[in-house]
Amino acid sequence: MKEKLASWPTLFLLFLKRDWKKIVVWVAGLGLFSAAYVPAFEEITKGQGLKGMFETLQNPAMISMVGPTPVETAADYTLGAMYAHEMLLFCSLFAMVIAALHVVSHTRKEEDHGLLELVRSFQIGRQANSLAAMMEILFINVLLALFIGGVMISFGADTITVEGSFLFGASIGMAGILGAVIALVMAQIMPASSGATGSSLGIIGLLYIIRAGTDVSNADFSMVNPLGWTYLTYPFTDDNWLPLIFALIFSIIMVVLAFTLEGNRDLGAGYLPEREGRDRAKKSLLSVHGLFIKMNKGVMISWLIAFVIMGAAYGSIYGDMQTFLGSNEMMEQMFAQSGVSIEESFTGTIMMVMISLVSILPIVIVNKLFSEERRSRLSQLYATKVTRNQFYWTSIGLAVLAGLAGIFLAAGSLGGTASAAMEDNVTMDVVDFFAAGFNFLPSVFFFIGLAALALGWAPRLGKVVYVYLGYSFAINYFGNILDLPEWFSKTAIQSWQSRMPLEDFNAPSFLTIIVISIALMIIGYLGYHRRDLMEGA
Amino acid sequence: MTNIVSIQGLQKRFGKFQALNDVNFTVNAGEVVGFIGPNGAGKSTTIRILLGIIKRDAGNAEIFGKDVWKDSLEIHKRISYVPGDVTLWGNLTGGEMIDLFLKLHGGGDKQKRDELIKRFELDPKKKAKGYSKGNRQKVGLIAALAADSDLYIFDEPTSGLDPLMEAIFQEEVEKIKKSGKSILLSSHILSEVERLADKVVIIRQGEVVETGTLDELRHLTRSTVTLATKGDVAEMAGLKGVFDFNQKDDEATFSVDNQHLDDILVKASKLGVKKFESVPPTLEDLFMRHYEG
Repeated sequence: MKEKLASWPTLFLLFLKRDWKKIVVWVAGLGLFSAAYVPAFEEITKGQGLKGMFETLQNPAMISMVGPTPVETAADYTLGAMYAHEMLLFCSLFAMVIAALHVVSHTRKEEDHGLLELVRSFQIGRQANSLAAMMEILFINVLLALFIGGVMISFGADTITVEGSFLFGASIGMAGILGAVIALVMAQIMPASSGATGSSLGIIGLLYIIRAGTDVSNADFSMVNPLGWTYLTYPFTDDNWLPLIFALIFSIIMVVLAFTLEGNRDLGAGYLPEREGRDRAKKSLLSVHGLFIKMNKGVMISWLIAFVIMGAAYGSIYGDMQTFLGSNEMMEQMFAQSGVSIEESFTGTIMMVMISLVSILPIVIVNKLFSEERRSRLSQLYATKVTRNQFYWTSIGLAVLAGLAGIFLAAGSLGGTASAAMEDNVTMDVVDFFAAGFNFLPSVFFFIGLAALALGWAPRLGKVVYVYLGYSFAINYFGNILDLPEWFSKTAIQSWQSRMPLEDFNAPSFLTIIVISIALMIIGYLGYHRRDLMEGA
Repeated sequence: MTNIVSIQGLQKRFGKFQALNDVNFTVNAGEVVGFIGPNGAGKSTTIRILLGIIKRDAGNAEIFGKDVWKDSLEIHKRISYVPGDVTLWGNLTGGEMIDLFLKLHGGGDKQKRDELIKRFELDPKKKAKGYSKGNRQKVGLIAALAADSDLYIFDEPTSGLDPLMEAIFQEEVEKIKKSGKSILLSSHILSEVERLADKVVIIRQGEVVETGTLDELRHLTRSTVTLATKGDVAEMAGLKGVFDFNQKDDEATFSVDNQHLDDILVKASKLGVKKFESVPPTLEDLFMRHYEG
């Protein structure tokens, strides 16, 4: 064993040296995102805020999104209870995803690039690299947990207890470790790093959707879900440390499993066999369009399937909503007064969430062109009669198509499942769902436009588009809960669209943003066709 | 002589593909062994097995008398390796990478390092992502050459290097050789192998098809002879051991089986030699014979 792990501390220190900037951004960014909303939440608690929020979050639709609370009466619903209820699941999810990406990039990716081969020719144990990566993850997440706990205590709010704060932080830190061990196992099974990343994220997404179902039906079932071991600690209310122990045991088992798998495979190989390819190109491949579709096929199909599953998962909740209203007089009155049905209200919110996620796929496709450029793969093609024009507009076109298909599938799947779930209680038909979905088309176009602009003028900033997407998403998501000033919420692009079906279609805004987006694409092109290609950079 | 590397009956399969069928060869102390073969013949697979990076399916492979899989750490203390495509972490500089590699190796010669950086004209302050292929290769070479090892494994080490740097590499390898170290050199640059190697191992479709010193290998094959005689040179054509006979005026060019050289010289002197040139086969000729025939 000692031999397998030899010299891991050296690699560990090397990781810290290489990553320290990333670690600072990671801990500070995720930490503040998780902990620093306490004052904003204090605002909500004023007056009847807590009671209203408690009732709202009893809605199965909301539970499916944010998770359950152990609190049974509105009187016990404190600031701490609400904070953990609304924030913990999402922050845990982020922590998992970031850690999973990080682990794959330090293990499988370096293996694919051939770096590990050279490293292994030294006195380095076979599994020292994996152990070093895990130790780095442990280090980062412990740091993150302490940072979150510390920041939360510093606000000095009554119900934000010391124990609860550290449990909250530890839950998020543990989520990171869970994401990391899942990724480490997938890194052994999959034949390449892209597969490892994709399958890890897929598993995390699946865990999230499964827990949405079990949270609504019976939260006890969420206890067998690794993602459940994070938010079911219920900080500030039950303060239950037990799930973290489950998570720890699970993590140790996964690490042992990953090490065993790694020990039994060759460097560069996986457990899933790679299929033999065809010896001649299919006709459909033989064009710029064909090549780009082929390049993006895997990611497109998996995302589109994810949209369908997501739509179906949320759609299935519509059946529970009327039951919920029947059991909750206050909410029933509230919805009766406002003149919108509970289904319509939920559709407005969930559609925004889903279409924000749909926007990721087109951004991925546009950014792909730059990552291909950097790896110098395009130079052989540029040397032929193919023009940059073709590359650019093929990518943009594909992104637009992916956006349209994404909205269609997400809205259709949501609408279809919802209609089935509502049975005879139908308050919306499928057309309403499509309208609500395509109402967000301008925001999808806008993200494509931004990515295109970056591609043309400052391609290294392509990743920043994701940051803006995350930002807009957060603004809209929390905009439902917090009372954000108008100008502030307008910094998110989705806010410029009306919330259908709650509000009427806003045609001028719809068209304006589409026109702006197309202009961005054209401006991006002007940059792209004249700038230097950045190969190998 | 002691065996530094010894490989017997090595086999490796990847899925359905039999990468190595039966690989046998040894590297003795103080010997430079050229390891040649076309792409996909199994050179890098063999080297990876030697490094303990992948596991053999059957056969024996030892370095310094130790098993390459079980005792890889012990072995790695005394070897240096340069792959054909050195990859580096983009955000570290070349100098940092070299120091890191030397540290991981377990100590190297700082002075040698600086000297090599100068010789190879590497800018050690540049981040690795800005290096060209050749410069990345230099980082790997410098780290390997500055380390004090008993066995050096080079897998197409000079790919991407310019001819000047290639020459410097060859000089450095000769220095190592003189100090009694062993080298396993896999390369497509046959002139390089020819210049450096004491022994050549030719691999083809996962099997070693030829092993021996260059002289031994040459002996098995034919030299090219150019001969001009006073008498009719065409008489040479019928002799045993003469092939590919080509005549132009009184001058003929043909290949000769080395074992029949004596008879041929006797016959030629009877005709009265005006001109005689004999060119031994180059490694390239040997190589081509194995793959074309």
